[in-house]
Amino acid sequence: MGLADRVIKPSILRGFALYTALAGIAWCALFPILWAVSGSLKNEGEVTMPTLFPSHPQWSNYREVFAVMPFWRMFFNSVLYAGCVSIGQVFFCSLAGYAFARLRFRGRDTLFVLYLGTLMVPLTVTVIPQFILMRIAGLTDTPWAMIVPGLFGSAFGTYLMRQFFQTIPAELEEAAILDGCSPWQIYWRILLPHAKPAVMVLAVLTWFNVWNDFLWPLLMIQRGSIATLTLGLVRMQGEYVARWPVLMAASMLILLPLLLVYAVAQRAFIRGIAVTGLGG
Amino acid sequence: MASVTFDQATRRYPGADRPAVDCLDLAVGDGEFVVLVGPSGCGKTTSLRMVAGLETVDAGCIRIGARDVTDVEPKDRDVAMVFQNYALYPHMTVAQNMGFALKIAGTPKAEIHARVLDAARLLDLQAYLDRKPKDLSGGQRQRVAMGRAIVRHPQVFLMDEPLSNLDAKLRVQTRNQIAGLQERLGTTTIYVTHDQVEAMTMGDRVAVLRDGVLQQCAAPRELYRNPINMFVAEFIGSPAMNLLTLPVVDHSVALGDWRIPLPHAITATTGELVVGIRPEHLDIGGSGVEMHIDVVEELGADAYLYGRITGVDNALTQSIVARTDGHDPPPRGSRVRLQPQPGHVHFFAFDGRRLP
Amino acid sequence: MTAIDESAVAVTRRRRFSKRRARAGRMFVAPNLAAVAVFMVFPLGFSLYMSFQNWDLFRPAKFVGLANYRSLFTGDPLFSIALRNSVVYTVGTVVPTVLISLAVAGVLNRKIKGINFFRTIVFLPLAVSSVVMAVVWQFVFNTNNGLLNIMLGWIGIGPIPWLVDPKWAMASLCMVSIWRSVPFATVILLAAMQGVPDTLYEAARLDGAGELRQFVSITVPLIRAAVSFVVVISIIHAFQAFDLVYVLTGRNGGPETATYVLGIMLFQHAFAFLEFGYASALAWVMFAILLVLTVVQLRLARRRTAQEERSWA
Repeated sequence: MGLADRVIKPSILRGFALYTALAGIAWCALFPILWAVSGSLKNEGEVTMPTLFPSHPQWSNYREVFAVMPFWRMFFNSVLYAGCVSIGQVFFCSLAGYAFARLRFRGRDTLFVLYLGTLMVPLTVTVIPQFILMRIAGLTDTPWAMIVPGLFGSAFGTYLMRQFFQTIPAELEEAAILDGCSPWQIYWRILLPHAKPAVMVLAVLTWFNVWNDFLWPLLMIQRGSIATLTLGLVRMQGEYVARWPVLMAASMLILLPLLLVYAVAQRAFIRGIAVTGLGG
Repeated sequence: MASVTFDQATRRYPGADRPAVDCLDLAVGDGEFVVLVGPSGCGKTTSLRMVAGLETVDAGCIRIGARDVTDVEPKDRDVAMVFQNYALYPHMTVAQNMGFALKIAGTPKAEIHARVLDAARLLDLQAYLDRKPKDLSGGQRQRVAMGRAIVRHPQVFLMDEPLSNLDAKLRVQTRNQIAGLQERLGTTTIYVTHDQVEAMTMGDRVAVLRDGVLQQCAAPRELYRNPINMFVAEFIGSPAMNLLTLPVVDHSVALGDWRIPLPHAITATTGELVVGIRPEHLDIGGSGVEMHIDVVEELGADAYLYGRITGVDNALTQSIVARTDGHDPPPRGSRVRLQPQPGHVHFFAFDGRRLP
Repeated sequence: MTAIDESAVAVTRRRRFSKRRARAGRMFVAPNLAAVAVFMVFPLGFSLYMSFQNWDLFRPAKFVGLANYRSLFTGDPLFSIALRNSVVYTVGTVVPTVLISLAVAGVLNRKIKGINFFRTIVFLPLAVSSVVMAVVWQFVFNTNNGLLNIMLGWIGIGPIPWLVDPKWAMASLCMVSIWRSVPFATVILLAAMQGVPDTLYEAARLDGAGELRQFVSITVPLIRAAVSFVVVISIIHAFQAFDLVYVLTGRNGGPETATYVLGIMLFQHAFAFLEFGYASALAWVMFAILLVLTVVQLRLARRRTAQEERSWA
């Protein structure tokens, strides 16, 4: 008797098929990015050739990106906007989420129904008045236009945080009340530290949303000095038509910070989705 | 014929220091009701799952009837299982749950209908056929799980602690129902539980497992009367058997100031022995070892006296439990004399082996 | 203090306590509420108001009643084109997305070695911006030296004018959209699948169900809520698509309006032609369509579960 006697053929075949399927799916997910990377390292002539690996990696393409657009300036802008809005969202949405979940005040539940209603409203309806509002306030073409709309949070963020806070056992708060904590202290010292998964989800979603946003910067921003990377890339696309290697290099440079954030946040983010019941 | 045989079956989880099931040799006869019992981690559920095909067999083999099923897929083994958490499909009605296996096998609709109805009648589930599991009580869900197994008319029933999620009263009721059902259907059944009372009342034979190793497999009466080692002796019977380490003096064992003569086969032993006496085999009377009563448990018909033996120089030594009539038990703090019934004293070596 | 005084004190203390909490509640909600009111509720009302006007931001607005809506439905040929394109795009994105992500999530829902590595890769496109991907895919779709045509060349198929030919432009757009949407849907579906208890699969195996059968009869029905969620969100998102279309096929809706979707039409009328009234009317029409679609879907989902409960075996 021994393990050698047990040649379970169907299991090996199944494993092989499974890994092939996984590899195929991974290829589909990755190939545009891989192709862009390879394209970014070729020169103009080689770009037409069906090779995956360039013969002489042209790192100069990357250098040219910095010459062609104010990359670091735009990078800074993107980080500034995304950072400010993320922090603001997390803070104000969790505060409001706590209030909706645990503090009783008159009109609380009807107000929340109103919040839920706004979730249904598509972007297209609100974007024009928001544009006009910014125009009237004289904030167009300023960094404030990128930060202020999202700074105090959104209905979606509050919804997320409220759902999460409802899952935290009431005893935690009750113990704090008995210890003499005010609502603010309860929020700041006890509930917020406990809310890490939901905060993660909200922060990452917000960050990606602001970083990748295109329509709003397109409408609001004229000056290159306050432009975001996303906007910068499209402008470059317009000016450098068909100069693929440089365009791909720029794309990769913009992608990189996002991938880093993703790599770091991925595990916590996925867990957060499960915890906040986003999946229905 | 649907007997089930474990032949040196072994299951070792990667990274574990001992096998979960270690060279299990057990033969369940056709139509027999065998209970696998033991503390948690003893390998009973793993053994059951090996028969179901849900656990890989690392060494040895499993046979159903004459057929070696060790490498056969669960669906081709013709076994049905009742899971501890019932595993009912939440999105299907009771009837759909029970008929699922038949539907997969391609049984014609009319026959599925008939068989489901039969099983439902047997288990008193007719009123619930259109309900979903979430609308049923625990006991009803348990019956649906059983119905799902019965409908398939399998060769073997496998039951994994099916009563552990029910309250005490329902447990006793369902226990008898299951035993009666099995006798009526005559299907070979392997039943897993950690409750030795369930094991003793339901099984034709009971297999006691510990740390993956089979200790003893015999009829309940045999386990009770002749436990093969200390573990089985202590595990079977409630309250547990008294196990006392006593010195050997003059071809007898000294229980306080009372002497119990050693049986003929081990009469030459010296030193110390472990002696086992069940609480129900200690008679309260005029002679015997003296005991100081610390606690009296009155259970109505019986009363259990918990206390300590008075030793040679009147010092209180080992703990002992004795059963007496619940009518008028001696009070706490008093002293009584206990005499072990002859023929009901067990002797064990320090390694757990039974002597002689 | 008498007993009555003590209880009175307790009552006022309790009242003060709950008053304090109520005040805190209102204060905590206030900033967020202000933002929602200013940037959500006000725009909602204002855009409706605007839809009944003609306004270009410089000259004063002129009230025109339902004229905007009327010309949308009767006088504007581009509206029906945009509507048709949007429907094609939505169906062409959502249906493949749901089917593909069900399959992908099913494959990823295992505990085999290295599965986390594959999951990370599959979820990667989530992190990537639509705009960047549009630029990259332009390169992939390039008629002369794009990867797709090169790969097709390997198996002997001639180059396809992905973004140039009107017939292919919508297909290309859908491909990128699907590529973009599948990871999001997969994350949600996978999370839902992981909520299905293992013992159900074991019971199914004993009942004779093979892998595919288990997937169809157990996994899919039990994640129906998550699938609905994905469908609704995907439809809402696809119907309003703008970023991707703009960057991939241009601000005029692609070759011969092949990819002229409602999002592009809205952008044009609002920010190119400065016809805010007309654009607002268009926005509200889109809103109404989406609302009807969502309600219908929810109604259908409820009826489906009721139907199943009636039949058995």
